[in-house]
Amino acid sequence: MTDDRHGRTLIAWFFIAPGLLGLALFVALPFLLAVGLSCTNLRLGSPLPLEFVGFEQFRRIFSEPTLLRALANNGLFALVVVPLQTLLALGLALLLNRRLAGLIFFRTIFFMPVVFPLSLVAVVWVLIFAPGINGMLNSALDVVSLGAWQPRDFLHDPYLALPAIMLTSIWQGMGFQMVIILAGLQAINQELYEAAAMDGAGRWRQFVNITLPQLRNTLIFVVLVTTVLAFRLFDQVQIMTQGGPRNATTTAMYEAVQAAFGRQQVGRGAAITVVLFCVAVAITCLQRRIIRQERQVS
Amino acid sequence: MTFRACHTLLYLVLCLLALLFLSPILLMVMGSLKADGRVLVEAGSLKAFWPGQVSLNNYEDVFRRVDFGRYMVNSLFINCSIVISGLLVNSLAGYAFARLQWRGRDLLFGMVLLVMIVPLEAIAVPLFYQVTLLGWRDSYLVQIVPFIANAFSIYLFQTFFLGLPRELEEAARMDGAGILRTFFSIIVPNAKPAFATAAILTFLSQWGAFLWPLMVTSGEAVRPLPLAIAAFYTLPPLQWGDIFAFGVMMVSPVLLVFLLFQNWFVRGVATTGIKG
Amino acid sequence: MREQVMLLVIAVLLLVAGCAEEQGEQPGVMKLQAWVHAGQQAERLVLEEQVARFNRRQQGVQLELTLIPERSYNAQIQAAALAGDLPDLLEFDGPYLANYVWQGHLRPLDDLLPSQLKDDLLPSIITQGTYRGRLFAVGVFDSGLGLYGRRSQLLATGARIPARPDEAWGAEEFSRLLKELAKGDADGAVLDLKFNYPGEWFTYAFSPIVQSAGGDLLDRRHSGKAAGVLDSSESVGALTQLQSWLAAGYVDGNVDDAAFVSGRVALSWAGHWEYRRYKEMVGDDLVALPLPDFGYGSRTGQGSWCWGITATGDRAKAAGTFLRFLLRPAEVLAMSGANGAVPATHSALAQSELYGPRGPLHLFAEQLSGGISVTRPRTPAYPVITSAFQQAFHDIRHGADVRTTLQRAAAIIDEDIADNKGYP
Repeated sequence: MTDDRHGRTLIAWFFIAPGLLGLALFVALPFLLAVGLSCTNLRLGSPLPLEFVGFEQFRRIFSEPTLLRALANNGLFALVVVPLQTLLALGLALLLNRRLAGLIFFRTIFFMPVVFPLSLVAVVWVLIFAPGINGMLNSALDVVSLGAWQPRDFLHDPYLALPAIMLTSIWQGMGFQMVIILAGLQAINQELYEAAAMDGAGRWRQFVNITLPQLRNTLIFVVLVTTVLAFRLFDQVQIMTQGGPRNATTTAMYEAVQAAFGRQQVGRGAAITVVLFCVAVAITCLQRRIIRQERQVS
Repeated sequence: MTFRACHTLLYLVLCLLALLFLSPILLMVMGSLKADGRVLVEAGSLKAFWPGQVSLNNYEDVFRRVDFGRYMVNSLFINCSIVISGLLVNSLAGYAFARLQWRGRDLLFGMVLLVMIVPLEAIAVPLFYQVTLLGWRDSYLVQIVPFIANAFSIYLFQTFFLGLPRELEEAARMDGAGILRTFFSIIVPNAKPAFATAAILTFLSQWGAFLWPLMVTSGEAVRPLPLAIAAFYTLPPLQWGDIFAFGVMMVSPVLLVFLLFQNWFVRGVATTGIKG
Repeated sequence: MREQVMLLVIAVLLLVAGCAEEQGEQPGVMKLQAWVHAGQQAERLVLEEQVARFNRRQQGVQLELTLIPERSYNAQIQAAALAGDLPDLLEFDGPYLANYVWQGHLRPLDDLLPSQLKDDLLPSIITQGTYRGRLFAVGVFDSGLGLYGRRSQLLATGARIPARPDEAWGAEEFSRLLKELAKGDADGAVLDLKFNYPGEWFTYAFSPIVQSAGGDLLDRRHSGKAAGVLDSSESVGALTQLQSWLAAGYVDGNVDDAAFVSGRVALSWAGHWEYRRYKEMVGDDLVALPLPDFGYGSRTGQGSWCWGITATGDRAKAAGTFLRFLLRPAEVLAMSGANGAVPATHSALAQSELYGPRGPLHLFAEQLSGGISVTRPRTPAYPVITSAFQQAFHDIRHGADVRTTLQRAAAIIDEDIADNKGYP
């Protein structure tokens, strides 16, 4: 019996070893090193000896308004994009969850932006947000508003720059969520709906009483992944606004990359990513706790 | 009657949404067929979606300015290697987490989930020191090996395997098959959707990789496509037509892969942990 | 079936990848590696021809070029340096010189270049390449920065046309001119500041107005600190002036980089690289002007890509041969002809059609040799200085209070200098 268990553990380790080794060597170890670096003054390529500075990097980043603003922007981005994107994706998925000709075609179209690398997407959207009446969005709004729209410089407007980045991200990311939710919808047992219809429940009642509860875990997963991605926001900012105007669109990841690669201050960059990691872990734990409670309830 | 009207309305709404969704892509595709100077000028009118005089000059420019074929081969090779080795490594790990009983399993799985949160940018510098020590700079290896093991894929496979009926394996055991043979002859054929999902997601997330290859490679020999686009960002005025032509050519293979496998992909999503 | 197809694909890819690996090296031939920025097509072609010519002339030395994308160029060099993979010859952007020397990547060139060649170089090129008294880099060309204008539009407002740096418009005079021009303009935007450019442009193009007002990015003579200089009332005054142009709507956003050529604006704050395009569109109405004088005389930017040597011993000597080859008047002129930049040697300059005594861009040559151009601070702290200044500039552009913004930038710079013990 013990021998058997021993053998099974051995096989399990054989299965797990390559994956675990990869993660340990190429994710966990460098991350631990990054935590170590965040307590040093490491400057890329400096001939000066490396110095341990304790929590100095952390003290600095928390005493500067820039990083706090960056984290706030991340939070705001998540607060707006996560629900909005999820709702839109849910709406689209509901529209597409029928047996009708041509819906696969639409599904493909809505998913298409997902296959575009963010760096390319951002470049295209810079053109869309171009200022002046020649800008695509400006002229579209001009037509829709029958000429009442005043052309804006979206990416340089302190109130519109972050929403512009949000719009870009939603366009690019929604298709993925839609496919996930669609899959969740298709996994719901049709008999539930038939039974509800027999009881005389209308479309809305069916949606609230069957669809939403059945989709709960799907939605929670979608929200979780999108939140984590919101805290990693970087490419769009780098290409579209470089954090401006006046830090209106800067993010923690952007600040970290600026520090480490722009100013060669690796220690500072590492400290920012450690803070970011802690925030992400906290949010994930919170969300997992909510899921667990749900499961206990149901 | 109302039923038909309802459907017509549905299609109308979908068409409208599809147009909105497609407009940035159309802008890019049409822009790639125009002379550079016209792309921006016409962006504010409906001409943005109409090439007018179609010309393939931009595509010729791309081939003239960068060794597109070389970059494409590099990208395909790197990505396919990551995807294929990743499928093997991560599915094995996922299976062990889902179906095998062993000590320390839950603790290790929790750590895998934690690792999922770490973005590459956060570890790029220390990872760079590591691979430099290994002497891997400027190679395919350095762009492949660190990305084979993937926490998200492991998580994906684990949840999929959890959902597979146990009877499958038990039948194979009865026939005297070992765990390894059971895995390859019974589990893998039944897990195609999960493999498709993991493959597509890995491919998508690696195809646009920029920061890492920028740090660890120099010169065209082993560099992937996203670095080639930097060649088009020289002094303004930017040649939008060239950039768009490059974009179209860069995205096409991914789009093709997705179109080919999308049904598997959607089924995979429906049956793996992604849906909750 | 599908698996077999996959395997086939992999096999083919491996084969292709394998075939493309390097061919064997001939014995007795020294192979020199050089990294250059992948600039404009014309520039690249000329350099490739030059290398081919050099390789034909040299027995036993073969130079190989590797093109590196211009974006993130410094990050790529840092990465290669950490890995000990730097090539023998390195092209890089001038202001990074001190950083690379301090990190120990470059060797001095004093013994590799004959003194008559050094005497032939423009003073601005010597200044850019010198750190702590030794020459570490030479450029084949330098850059010119000024204002391009449409003569007829300027004359219509009754403005005078300054021909030389000492005749530059005063800041107040320039503001009035903008106002006059705006009166007759459809959208009131009459000045292009190239806001569509990325990164370094802002330090290159706008730190000269700070210097023209008597300020600077940091105290170069004494303390080496930014506080008290970058945030001095002189610097604040200059950038406040610039902010007032923006607030008045005189500046075109220029997303399409066509503000000047399409006739939307009468004035464009730009470098030598725009001359040909502008000349083509505007013709004889085009005039090159010095930047406005903010009190201490017109100042302008300077500096561009230059060459340094990382190799040692015989390889360094061979690399030096290549630099001497690039600095021959014919080669300097060939490159200048391709990218339109100011030739880096007096001998080439005298033969240049654009920059010679009667050339349309003689102003730029005069600025470089006449002490009007200011080299960006030659300190290893430069990456931080430029990052902080750019950030401050963008904030000021978007309406931030000039003094507090500059104070914050100065604090960031001084903190970095202190962190690195003053870059000993």
